[in-house]
Amino acid sequence: MSRVLIVEDEQHLADGLRFNLEAEGHQAIIVCDGVQALDRLLTERDHYDAVILDVMLPGKDGFEVASSLRAAGQYVPILMLTARGRPEDVLRGFESGADDYLPKPFELAIFLARLRGLLRRRRWSQQEVAAAPAPANGAVPDVFSFAGRTLDFSTMEIRARDGSHPLTLMECQLLRYLVKNAGKPVSRKAILEDVWDLHESTDTRAIDNFIVRLRRYLEDNPASPRFLLTVRGVGYKFVPTV
Amino acid sequence: MTRRKAIAFFVAFCVLLVAAAVSLNIGWIVINARSITPLILGVATFALIITGIIVYTVFLVMEIKRNEDHDTFINAVTHELKTPIASIKLYLETLQSRALTEEQRRHFYGVMLADADRLHRTVDQVLKAGIVREKRKAGPRSPVDIGAIARECVDLAVVRHHLPPSAVALDTQADQRLMVLGEADDLRTVISNLVDNAVKYSGESVRVTVALAAPTPETVWVRVQDRGIGIPHKQLKRIFNRFYRVQTRGLKQVKGTGLGLYIVRTIAKAHGGRVFAQSEGEGRGATFTVELPRLARV
Repeated sequence: MSRVLIVEDEQHLADGLRFNLEAEGHQAIIVCDGVQALDRLLTERDHYDAVILDVMLPGKDGFEVASSLRAAGQYVPILMLTARGRPEDVLRGFESGADDYLPKPFELAIFLARLRGLLRRRRWSQQEVAAAPAPANGAVPDVFSFAGRTLDFSTMEIRARDGSHPLTLMECQLLRYLVKNAGKPVSRKAILEDVWDLHESTDTRAIDNFIVRLRRYLEDNPASPRFLLTVRGVGYKFVPTV
Repeated sequence: MTRRKAIAFFVAFCVLLVAAAVSLNIGWIVINARSITPLILGVATFALIITGIIVYTVFLVMEIKRNEDHDTFINAVTHELKTPIASIKLYLETLQSRALTEEQRRHFYGVMLADADRLHRTVDQVLKAGIVREKRKAGPRSPVDIGAIARECVDLAVVRHHLPPSAVALDTQADQRLMVLGEADDLRTVISNLVDNAVKYSGESVRVTVALAAPTPETVWVRVQDRGIGIPHKQLKRIFNRFYRVQTRGLKQVKGTGLGLYIVRTIAKAHGGRVFAQSEGEGRGATFTVELPRLARV
Protein backbone atom coordinates (compact mmCIF):
# COMPACT_ATOMS: atom_id res chain seq x y z
CA MET A 1 0.00 0.00 0.00
CA SER A 2 1.25 3.45 -0.85
CA ARG A 3 0.35 6.80 0.58
CA VAL A 4 -0.59 9.32 -2.09
CA LEU A 5 -1.19 13.02 -1.56
CA ILE A 6 -3.79 14.56 -3.89
CA VAL A 7 -3.41 18.33 -4.27
CA GLU A 8 -6.56 19.42 -6.11
CA ASP A 9 -9.03 22.21 -5.43
CA GLU A 10 -11.83 20.74 -7.55
CA GLN A 11 -13.72 18.70 -4.99
CA HIS A 12 -15.34 16.34 -7.53
CA LEU A 13 -12.08 15.42 -9.23
CA ALA A 14 -10.26 15.00 -5.93
CA ASP A 15 -12.99 12.70 -4.57
CA GLY A 16 -13.08 10.68 -7.80
CA LEU A 17 -9.32 10.22 -7.73
CA ARG A 18 -9.33 9.23 -4.09
CA PHE A 19 -12.07 6.69 -4.70
CA ASN A 20 -10.02 5.07 -7.45
CA LEU A 21 -6.77 5.12 -5.51
CA GLU A 22 -8.46 3.52 -2.54
CA ALA A 23 -10.00 0.93 -4.83
CA GLU A 24 -6.47 0.15 -5.98
CA GLY A 25 -5.46 -0.43 -2.38
CA HIS A 26 -3.65 2.87 -1.76
CA GLN A 27 -4.20 5.42 0.93
CA ALA A 28 -5.13 8.83 -0.47
CA ILE A 29 -5.12 12.15 1.33
CA ILE A 30 -6.63 15.28 -0.22
CA VAL A 31 -5.48 18.85 0.33
CA CYS A 32 -7.01 21.68 -1.66
CA ASP A 33 -4.24 24.23 -2.04
CA GLY A 34 -0.52 24.57 -2.51
CA VAL A 35 0.25 26.00 0.90
CA GLN A 36 -1.34 23.04 2.66
CA ALA A 37 0.56 20.68 0.36
CA LEU A 38 3.88 22.29 1.30
CA ASP A 39 2.90 22.14 4.97
CA ARG A 40 2.30 18.43 4.73
CA LEU A 41 5.39 17.62 2.70
CA LEU A 42 7.97 19.98 4.19
CA THR A 43 6.96 21.18 7.62
CA GLU A 44 5.27 18.09 8.97
CA ARG A 45 7.48 15.75 6.91
CA ASP A 46 4.62 13.34 6.53
CA HIS A 47 5.64 10.37 4.49
CA TYR A 48 4.10 10.09 1.02
CA ASP A 49 5.03 7.80 -1.84
CA ALA A 50 3.67 10.07 -4.55
CA VAL A 51 1.95 13.41 -5.07
CA ILE A 52 -0.81 14.14 -7.59
CA LEU A 53 -0.48 17.87 -8.19
CA ASP A 54 -2.96 20.15 -9.96
CA VAL A 55 -1.51 23.31 -11.54
CA MET A 56 -4.30 25.86 -11.20
CA LEU A 57 -4.49 26.07 -7.43
CA PRO A 58 -5.54 28.99 -5.27
CA GLY A 59 -2.61 30.82 -3.70
CA LYS A 60 0.55 29.01 -4.79
CA ASP A 61 0.16 27.24 -8.13
CA GLY A 62 1.38 23.73 -8.90
CA PHE A 63 4.58 24.89 -10.61
CA GLU A 64 5.59 26.87 -7.53
CA VAL A 65 4.73 23.97 -5.24
CA ALA A 66 6.85 21.54 -7.28
CA SER A 67 9.87 23.83 -7.40
CA SER A 68 9.64 24.66 -3.68
CA LEU A 69 9.58 20.94 -2.89
CA ARG A 70 12.62 20.22 -5.02
CA ALA A 71 14.51 23.23 -3.70
CA ALA A 72 13.93 21.96 -0.16
CA GLY A 73 15.26 18.51 -1.02
CA GLN A 74 11.88 16.76 -1.07
CA TYR A 75 12.15 14.31 -3.96
CA VAL A 76 8.80 12.55 -3.67
CA PRO A 77 7.52 11.57 -7.16
CA ILE A 78 5.13 14.19 -8.57
CA LEU A 79 2.48 13.52 -11.19
CA MET A 80 1.13 16.82 -12.49
CA LEU A 81 -2.47 16.79 -13.53
CA THR A 82 -3.77 19.87 -15.25
CA ALA A 83 -6.15 21.47 -17.72
CA ARG A 84 -3.18 23.18 -19.37
CA GLY A 85 -1.91 20.92 -22.10
CA ARG A 86 0.10 23.29 -24.28
CA PRO A 87 3.71 22.23 -24.93
CA GLU A 88 5.10 25.22 -23.00
CA ASP A 89 2.99 24.26 -19.98
CA VAL A 90 4.21 20.66 -20.13
CA LEU A 91 7.81 21.85 -20.36
CA ARG A 92 7.31 24.23 -17.46
CA GLY A 93 5.87 21.37 -15.43
CA PHE A 94 8.92 19.21 -15.97
CA GLU A 95 11.28 22.12 -15.37
CA SER A 96 9.65 22.87 -12.04
CA GLY A 97 10.37 19.33 -10.94
CA ALA A 98 7.43 17.14 -11.94
CA ASP A 99 8.19 13.51 -12.80
CA ASP A 100 5.21 13.07 -15.05
CA TYR A 101 2.55 15.30 -16.60
CA LEU A 102 -0.97 14.39 -17.61
CA PRO A 103 -3.38 16.89 -19.19
CA LYS A 104 -7.06 16.86 -18.18
CA PRO A 105 -9.28 15.22 -19.23
CA PHE A 106 -7.37 11.97 -18.88
CA GLU A 107 -8.09 8.25 -19.18
CA LEU A 108 -8.45 6.67 -15.77
CA ALA A 109 -6.47 3.58 -16.84
CA ILE A 110 -3.58 5.70 -18.14
CA PHE A 111 -3.57 7.80 -15.01
CA LEU A 112 -3.39 4.72 -12.80
CA ALA A 113 -0.70 3.16 -14.99
CA ARG A 114 1.47 6.27 -14.79
CA LEU A 115 1.05 6.47 -11.05
CA ARG A 116 1.97 2.80 -10.77
CA GLY A 117 5.06 3.54 -12.84
CA LEU A 118 6.13 6.31 -10.45
CA LEU A 119 5.53 4.17 -7.37
CA ARG A 120 7.41 1.26 -8.93
CA ARG A 121 10.38 3.47 -9.78
CA ARG A 122 10.44 4.76 -6.20
CA ARG A 123 10.38 1.24 -4.82
CA TRP A 124 13.19 0.15 -7.12
CA SER A 125 15.43 3.03 -6.19
CA GLN A 126 14.81 2.40 -2.50
CA GLN A 127 15.76 -1.25 -3.02
CA GLU A 128 18.88 -0.16 -4.87
CA VAL A 129 19.90 2.07 -2.00
CA ALA A 130 19.20 -0.62 0.54
CA ALA A 131 20.91 -3.41 -1.39
CA ALA A 132 23.99 -1.61 -2.65
CA PRO A 133 25.14 1.34 -0.60
CA ALA A 134 26.74 4.11 -2.57
CA PRO A 135 30.50 3.58 -2.98
CA ALA A 136 31.26 6.72 -1.03
CA ASN A 137 29.61 5.21 1.98
CA GLY A 138 31.92 2.21 2.12
CA ALA A 139 31.04 -0.61 4.47
CA VAL A 140 28.43 0.93 6.69
CA PRO A 141 26.12 -1.67 8.19
CA ASP A 142 22.41 -1.43 7.39
CA VAL A 143 21.58 -0.95 11.02
CA PHE A 144 23.57 1.34 13.29
CA SER A 145 22.69 1.89 16.93
CA PHE A 146 23.93 4.43 19.44
CA ALA A 147 22.61 6.02 22.63
CA GLY A 148 19.23 4.32 22.39
CA ARG A 149 18.70 5.33 18.78
CA THR A 150 18.72 2.99 15.83
CA LEU A 151 19.37 4.08 12.28
CA ASP A 152 17.93 1.52 9.90
CA PHE A 153 19.15 2.22 6.36
CA SER A 154 17.33 -0.74 4.84
CA THR A 155 13.89 0.45 5.92
CA MET A 156 14.95 4.10 5.76
CA GLU A 157 13.91 5.12 9.23
CA ILE A 158 15.20 6.25 12.59
CA ARG A 159 13.91 4.45 15.63
CA ALA A 160 14.18 6.11 19.01
CA ARG A 161 12.41 5.89 22.32
CA ASP A 162 9.67 8.24 21.19
CA GLY A 163 8.87 6.28 18.02
CA SER A 164 10.21 6.10 14.49
CA HIS A 165 10.75 8.75 11.82
CA PRO A 166 10.78 7.90 8.13
CA LEU A 167 13.83 9.20 6.25
CA THR A 168 14.02 10.50 2.73
CA LEU A 169 16.55 9.04 0.35
CA MET A 170 18.95 11.96 0.73
CA GLU A 171 18.61 12.08 4.51
CA CYS A 172 19.48 8.39 4.53
CA GLN A 173 22.58 8.84 2.38
CA LEU A 174 23.76 11.83 4.37
CA LEU A 175 23.39 9.89 7.63
CA ARG A 176 25.27 6.92 6.20
CA TYR A 177 28.08 9.24 5.21
CA LEU A 178 28.21 10.81 8.67
CA VAL A 179 28.20 7.38 10.31
CA LYS A 180 31.05 6.26 8.07
CA ASN A 181 33.06 9.32 9.09
CA ALA A 182 32.01 9.19 12.73
CA GLY A 183 34.30 11.12 15.02
CA LYS A 184 35.95 13.01 12.15
CA PRO A 185 34.93 16.49 11.06
CA VAL A 186 33.61 16.58 7.49
CA SER A 187 33.40 19.75 5.43
CA ARG A 188 30.25 20.90 3.68
CA LYS A 189 32.13 20.71 0.40
CA ALA A 190 33.10 17.07 1.01
CA ILE A 191 29.47 16.26 1.85
CA LEU A 192 28.25 17.90 -1.35
CA GLU A 193 30.80 16.00 -3.41
CA ASP A 194 30.48 12.61 -1.79
CA VAL A 195 26.78 12.47 -0.95
CA TRP A 196 25.21 14.67 -3.61
CA ASP A 197 27.92 14.14 -6.20
CA LEU A 198 27.98 17.89 -6.84
CA HIS A 199 31.34 19.33 -7.80
CA GLU A 200 30.38 22.86 -8.74
CA SER A 201 30.43 25.62 -6.19
CA THR A 202 26.88 24.97 -5.13
CA ASP A 203 25.19 26.79 -2.28
CA THR A 204 25.99 24.76 0.82
CA ARG A 205 23.06 25.98 2.87
CA ALA A 206 20.94 23.09 1.62
CA ILE A 207 23.09 20.82 3.76
CA ASP A 208 22.44 22.94 6.83
CA ASN A 209 18.70 22.39 6.36
CA PHE A 210 19.28 18.66 6.24
CA ILE A 211 21.38 18.78 9.38
CA VAL A 212 18.67 20.79 11.17
CA ARG A 213 16.17 18.08 10.28
CA LEU A 214 18.44 15.22 11.27
CA ARG A 215 19.07 16.91 14.60
CA ARG A 216 15.35 17.11 15.15
CA TYR A 217 15.16 13.33 14.75
CA LEU A 218 18.29 12.46 16.70
CA GLU A 219 18.84 14.97 19.43
CA ASP A 220 16.98 15.34 22.69
CA ASN A 221 17.49 19.07 22.40
CA PRO A 222 18.12 20.06 18.77
CA ALA A 223 19.26 23.54 19.88
CA SER A 224 22.28 22.16 21.75
CA PRO A 225 23.22 18.99 19.88
CA ARG A 226 25.18 16.17 21.48
CA PHE A 227 25.71 13.86 18.51
CA LEU A 228 25.57 15.99 15.39
CA LEU A 229 28.01 18.80 16.12
CA THR A 230 28.87 21.89 14.13
CA VAL A 231 32.61 22.35 13.61
CA ARG A 232 33.07 26.07 13.10
CA GLY A 233 34.60 27.02 9.80
CA VAL A 234 34.68 23.40 8.64
CA GLY A 235 31.37 21.60 8.67
CA TYR A 236 29.95 18.89 10.84
CA LYS A 237 31.04 16.03 13.06
CA PHE A 238 29.00 13.01 14.06
CA VAL A 239 29.83 11.77 17.57
CA PRO A 240 27.84 8.64 18.45
CA THR A 241 28.55 8.73 22.20
CA VAL A 242 26.56 6.59 24.54
CA MET B 1 5.64 40.18 -16.96
CA THR B 2 6.82 40.51 -20.53
CA ARG B 3 3.63 42.43 -21.34
CA ARG B 4 4.34 44.89 -18.58
CA LYS B 5 7.83 45.33 -20.02
CA ALA B 6 6.39 45.86 -23.49
CA ILE B 7 4.03 48.53 -22.16
CA ALA B 8 6.87 50.25 -20.31
CA PHE B 9 8.99 50.18 -23.46
CA PHE B 10 6.32 51.70 -25.70
CA VAL B 11 5.44 54.39 -23.18
CA ALA B 12 9.13 55.31 -22.79
CA PHE B 13 9.56 55.31 -26.56
CA CYS B 14 6.54 57.59 -26.91
CA VAL B 15 7.91 60.04 -24.34
CA LEU B 16 11.24 60.05 -26.20
CA LEU B 17 9.58 60.73 -29.56
CA VAL B 18 7.38 63.46 -28.11
CA ALA B 19 10.43 65.08 -26.49
CA ALA B 20 12.29 64.93 -29.81
CA ALA B 21 9.31 66.45 -31.63
CA VAL B 22 8.94 69.20 -29.04
CA SER B 23 12.62 70.16 -29.24
CA LEU B 24 12.45 70.15 -33.06
CA ASN B 25 9.35 72.30 -32.77
CA ILE B 26 11.18 74.77 -30.52
CA GLY B 27 14.08 74.83 -32.99
CA TRP B 28 11.67 75.53 -35.80
CA ILE B 29 10.08 78.39 -33.86
CA VAL B 30 13.51 79.91 -33.14
CA ILE B 31 14.64 79.63 -36.78
CA ASN B 32 11.40 80.91 -38.29
CA ALA B 33 10.62 83.50 -35.62
CA ARG B 34 10.32 86.24 -38.24
CA SER B 35 8.25 84.55 -40.99
CA ILE B 36 4.71 83.86 -39.97
CA THR B 37 3.56 81.28 -42.60
CA PRO B 38 6.25 78.58 -42.09
CA LEU B 39 6.01 79.19 -38.36
CA ILE B 40 2.28 78.46 -38.21
CA LEU B 41 2.53 75.56 -40.68
CA GLY B 42 5.43 74.03 -38.79
CA VAL B 43 3.86 74.34 -35.36
CA ALA B 44 0.61 72.83 -36.67
CA THR B 45 2.46 69.91 -38.28
CA PHE B 46 4.46 69.21 -35.14
CA ALA B 47 1.30 69.39 -33.03
CA LEU B 48 -0.27 66.83 -35.36
CA ILE B 49 2.77 64.53 -35.16
CA ILE B 50 2.84 64.72 -31.36
CA THR B 51 -0.87 64.01 -31.10
CA GLY B 52 -0.40 61.11 -33.49
CA ILE B 53 2.39 59.59 -31.45
CA ILE B 54 0.36 59.84 -28.25
CA VAL B 55 -2.78 58.43 -29.83
CA TYR B 56 -0.88 55.49 -31.29
CA THR B 57 0.80 54.71 -28.00
CA VAL B 58 -2.44 54.86 -26.05
CA PHE B 59 -4.04 52.59 -28.62
CA LEU B 60 -1.13 50.17 -28.49
CA VAL B 61 -1.13 49.97 -24.71
CA MET B 62 -4.88 49.41 -24.71
CA GLU B 63 -4.49 46.59 -27.23
CA ILE B 64 -1.74 44.96 -25.18
CA LYS B 65 -3.98 45.09 -22.11
CA ARG B 66 -6.92 43.72 -24.04
CA ASN B 67 -4.73 40.93 -25.31
CA GLU B 68 -3.76 40.10 -21.75
CA ASP B 69 -7.40 39.98 -20.64
CA HIS B 70 -8.13 37.76 -23.61
CA ASP B 71 -5.38 35.35 -22.59
CA THR B 72 -6.75 35.23 -19.07
CA PHE B 73 -10.15 34.50 -20.58
CA ILE B 74 -8.86 31.64 -22.73
CA ASN B 75 -7.13 30.14 -19.69
CA ALA B 76 -10.24 30.53 -17.54
CA VAL B 77 -12.55 29.05 -20.17
CA THR B 78 -10.16 26.18 -20.85
CA HIS B 79 -10.17 25.42 -17.16
CA GLU B 80 -13.94 25.87 -16.82
CA LEU B 81 -14.61 23.54 -19.75
CA LYS B 82 -11.99 20.91 -19.12
CA THR B 83 -12.44 20.47 -15.39
CA PRO B 84 -16.07 19.29 -15.48
CA ILE B 85 -15.36 17.16 -18.54
CA ALA B 86 -12.41 15.55 -16.77
CA SER B 87 -14.59 14.92 -13.75
CA ILE B 88 -17.49 13.43 -15.72
CA LYS B 89 -15.09 11.23 -17.64
CA LEU B 90 -13.38 10.08 -14.46
CA TYR B 91 -16.70 9.11 -12.87
CA LEU B 92 -17.97 7.38 -16.02
CA GLU B 93 -14.78 5.34 -16.27
CA THR B 94 -15.06 4.50 -12.61
CA LEU B 95 -18.66 3.37 -13.11
CA GLN B 96 -17.55 1.31 -16.08
CA SER B 97 -14.57 -0.40 -14.52
CA ARG B 98 -15.42 -0.96 -10.88
CA ALA B 99 -17.99 -2.85 -8.90
CA LEU B 100 -20.04 -0.29 -7.01
CA THR B 101 -22.89 -0.34 -4.57
CA GLU B 102 -26.20 1.20 -5.54
CA GLU B 103 -25.58 4.07 -3.14
CA GLN B 104 -22.15 4.87 -4.66
CA ARG B 105 -23.69 4.74 -8.10
CA ARG B 106 -26.36 7.26 -7.13
CA HIS B 107 -23.76 9.51 -5.59
CA PHE B 108 -21.65 9.40 -8.75
CA TYR B 109 -24.68 10.24 -10.91
CA GLY B 110 -25.31 13.27 -8.71
CA VAL B 111 -21.71 14.45 -9.06
CA MET B 112 -21.83 14.03 -12.84
CA LEU B 113 -25.10 15.94 -13.07
CA ALA B 114 -23.60 18.81 -11.10
CA ASP B 115 -20.61 18.83 -13.44
CA ALA B 116 -22.87 18.76 -16.49
CA ASP B 117 -24.73 21.76 -15.05
CA ARG B 118 -21.49 23.61 -14.53
CA LEU B 119 -20.44 22.86 -18.09
CA HIS B 120 -23.82 24.01 -19.35
CA ARG B 121 -23.55 27.29 -17.44
CA THR B 122 -20.09 28.01 -18.84
CA VAL B 123 -21.17 27.29 -22.40
CA ASP B 124 -24.32 29.38 -21.89
CA GLN B 125 -22.28 32.26 -20.53
CA VAL B 126 -19.89 32.22 -23.49
CA LEU B 127 -22.72 32.00 -26.03
CA LYS B 128 -24.74 34.68 -24.26
CA ALA B 129 -21.75 37.03 -24.29
CA GLY B 130 -21.52 36.56 -28.04
CA ILE B 131 -25.25 37.16 -28.55
CA VAL B 132 -25.57 40.28 -26.39
CA ARG B 133 -22.53 41.74 -28.11
CA GLU B 134 -24.13 41.18 -31.50
CA LYS B 135 -27.58 42.55 -30.90
CA ARG B 136 -27.04 45.43 -28.45
CA LYS B 137 -30.42 47.07 -29.11
CA ALA B 138 -33.04 45.12 -31.07
CA GLY B 139 -35.21 42.29 -29.76
CA PRO B 140 -38.91 41.95 -29.08
CA ARG B 141 -39.88 43.83 -25.94
CA SER B 142 -42.85 43.24 -23.73
CA PRO B 143 -43.94 44.42 -20.29
CA VAL B 144 -42.15 42.33 -17.69
CA ASP B 145 -42.84 42.07 -13.96
CA ILE B 146 -39.32 42.45 -12.61
CA GLY B 147 -40.40 41.29 -9.14
CA ALA B 148 -41.57 37.94 -10.48
CA ILE B 149 -38.30 37.49 -12.34
CA ALA B 150 -36.27 38.31 -9.24
CA ARG B 151 -38.27 35.70 -7.30
CA GLU B 152 -37.52 33.05 -9.96
CA CYS B 153 -33.81 33.89 -9.90
CA VAL B 154 -33.59 33.75 -6.12
CA ASP B 155 -35.36 30.37 -6.01
CA LEU B 156 -33.10 29.01 -8.72
CA ALA B 157 -29.95 30.23 -6.96
CA VAL B 158 -30.99 28.58 -3.70
CA VAL B 159 -31.47 25.25 -5.46
CA ARG B 160 -28.39 25.55 -7.65
CA HIS B 161 -25.97 26.38 -4.85
CA HIS B 162 -27.60 24.07 -2.28
CA LEU B 163 -28.31 26.95 0.11
CA PRO B 164 -30.78 27.21 2.96
CA PRO B 165 -33.72 29.36 1.76
CA SER B 166 -32.82 32.07 4.27
CA ALA B 167 -29.38 32.65 2.68
CA VAL B 168 -30.83 34.67 -0.16
CA ALA B 169 -33.48 37.15 0.95
CA LEU B 170 -35.82 38.85 -1.48
CA ASP B 171 -37.33 42.22 -0.72
CA THR B 172 -39.91 43.16 -3.34
CA GLN B 173 -42.03 46.23 -3.06
CA ALA B 174 -45.09 44.27 -2.13
CA ASP B 175 -47.55 47.11 -2.58
CA GLN B 176 -46.85 47.65 -6.24
CA ARG B 177 -45.79 45.60 -9.22
CA LEU B 178 -42.72 47.06 -10.82
CA MET B 179 -42.90 46.67 -14.56
CA VAL B 180 -40.22 47.28 -17.18
CA LEU B 181 -40.27 46.95 -20.94
CA GLY B 182 -37.81 44.34 -22.03
CA GLU B 183 -36.90 40.76 -22.74
CA ALA B 184 -37.75 38.52 -19.81
CA ASP B 185 -34.98 36.07 -20.70
CA ASP B 186 -32.28 38.72 -20.75
CA LEU B 187 -33.47 40.30 -17.52
CA ARG B 188 -33.45 36.88 -15.91
CA THR B 189 -29.82 36.51 -17.01
CA VAL B 190 -28.97 39.88 -15.46
CA ILE B 191 -30.39 39.07 -12.03
CA SER B 192 -29.18 35.47 -12.10
CA ASN B 193 -25.62 36.49 -12.90
CA LEU B 194 -25.60 39.04 -10.09
CA VAL B 195 -27.06 36.61 -7.55
CA ASP B 196 -24.64 33.85 -8.64
CA ASN B 197 -21.72 36.24 -8.23
CA ALA B 198 -22.96 37.35 -4.82
CA VAL B 199 -23.08 33.71 -3.70
CA LYS B 200 -19.75 32.78 -5.31
CA TYR B 201 -17.87 35.67 -3.70
CA SER B 202 -19.50 35.24 -0.30
CA GLY B 203 -17.26 32.46 0.89
CA GLU B 204 -18.56 30.16 3.60
CA SER B 205 -21.41 32.15 5.07
CA VAL B 206 -23.78 33.29 2.35
CA ARG B 207 -26.05 36.21 3.18
CA VAL B 208 -27.39 37.83 0.05
CA THR B 209 -30.21 40.34 -0.27
CA VAL B 210 -32.04 41.07 -3.50
CA ALA B 211 -34.09 44.23 -3.15
CA LEU B 212 -36.39 45.99 -5.58
CA ALA B 213 -37.07 49.69 -5.35
CA ALA B 214 -38.44 52.59 -7.32
CA PRO B 215 -36.14 55.52 -6.48
CA THR B 216 -38.04 57.80 -8.87
CA PRO B 217 -41.39 57.28 -10.61
CA GLU B 218 -39.55 56.60 -13.88
CA THR B 219 -36.91 54.12 -12.70
CA VAL B 220 -36.66 50.71 -11.12
CA TRP B 221 -33.68 49.49 -9.07
CA VAL B 222 -32.70 45.91 -8.56
CA ARG B 223 -30.03 45.76 -5.87
CA VAL B 224 -28.07 42.64 -5.09
CA GLN B 225 -26.11 42.92 -1.88
CA ASP B 226 -23.67 40.47 -0.37
CA ARG B 227 -21.42 40.43 2.67
CA GLY B 228 -18.57 38.69 0.90
CA ILE B 229 -14.99 39.49 -0.01
CA GLY B 230 -15.78 42.91 -1.45
CA ILE B 231 -14.12 44.75 -4.33
CA PRO B 232 -11.11 47.09 -4.13
CA HIS B 233 -12.20 50.62 -4.92
CA LYS B 234 -9.99 50.90 -8.02
CA GLN B 235 -11.61 47.92 -9.68
CA LEU B 236 -15.26 48.95 -9.27
CA LYS B 237 -15.52 50.11 -12.89
CA ARG B 238 -13.19 47.64 -14.57
CA ILE B 239 -15.11 44.62 -13.33
CA PHE B 240 -17.74 45.21 -16.00
CA ASN B 241 -15.19 44.92 -18.80
CA ARG B 242 -15.22 41.83 -20.93
CA PHE B 243 -12.85 39.09 -19.62
CA TYR B 244 -11.85 41.18 -16.60
CA ARG B 245 -11.54 39.26 -13.36
CA VAL B 246 -10.98 40.62 -9.89
CA GLN B 247 -7.54 39.72 -8.60
CA THR B 248 -8.30 37.96 -5.35
CA ARG B 249 -5.29 37.91 -3.10
CA GLY B 250 -6.78 35.57 -0.53
CA LEU B 251 -6.63 31.83 -0.57
CA LYS B 252 -10.08 31.39 -1.98
CA GLN B 253 -9.84 31.70 -5.71
CA VAL B 254 -13.20 32.05 -7.40
CA LYS B 255 -13.51 30.32 -10.72
CA GLY B 256 -15.22 31.98 -13.65
CA THR B 257 -14.95 33.20 -17.21
CA GLY B 258 -14.91 36.97 -16.69
CA LEU B 259 -18.06 37.34 -18.77
CA GLY B 260 -20.88 37.51 -16.22
CA LEU B 261 -20.78 41.23 -15.40
CA TYR B 262 -19.99 42.15 -19.00
CA ILE B 263 -23.25 40.42 -19.99
CA VAL B 264 -25.09 42.22 -17.19
CA ARG B 265 -23.84 45.62 -18.31
CA THR B 266 -24.53 44.99 -22.00
CA ILE B 267 -28.09 43.85 -21.34
CA ALA B 268 -28.76 46.72 -18.93
CA LYS B 269 -27.55 49.21 -21.53
CA ALA B 270 -29.64 47.59 -24.27
CA HIS B 271 -32.67 48.12 -22.04
CA GLY B 272 -31.83 51.80 -21.66
CA GLY B 273 -30.55 51.30 -18.15
CA ARG B 274 -27.21 50.97 -16.37
CA VAL B 275 -25.49 49.00 -13.69
CA PHE B 276 -23.01 50.06 -11.03
CA ALA B 277 -21.14 48.50 -8.17
CA GLN B 278 -20.42 49.78 -4.69
CA SER B 279 -18.16 48.30 -2.08
CA GLU B 280 -16.79 49.49 1.22
CA GLY B 281 -13.57 47.74 0.24
CA GLU B 282 -12.03 44.32 0.56
CA GLY B 283 -13.77 42.00 2.98
CA ARG B 284 -16.76 44.29 3.40
CA GLY B 285 -19.18 43.01 0.79
CA ALA B 286 -20.46 44.55 -2.41
CA THR B 287 -23.70 45.94 -3.77
CA PHE B 288 -24.66 45.82 -7.43
CA THR B 289 -27.48 48.06 -8.62
CA VAL B 290 -29.24 47.68 -11.95
CA GLU B 291 -31.25 50.72 -12.91
CA LEU B 292 -33.93 50.22 -15.56
CA PRO B 293 -36.54 52.59 -16.99
CA ARG B 294 -39.88 51.85 -15.37
CA LEU B 295 -42.90 51.15 -17.45
CA ALA B 296 -45.70 53.48 -16.39
CA ARG B 297 -48.86 51.69 -15.38
CA VAL B 298 -50.93 51.04 -18.50
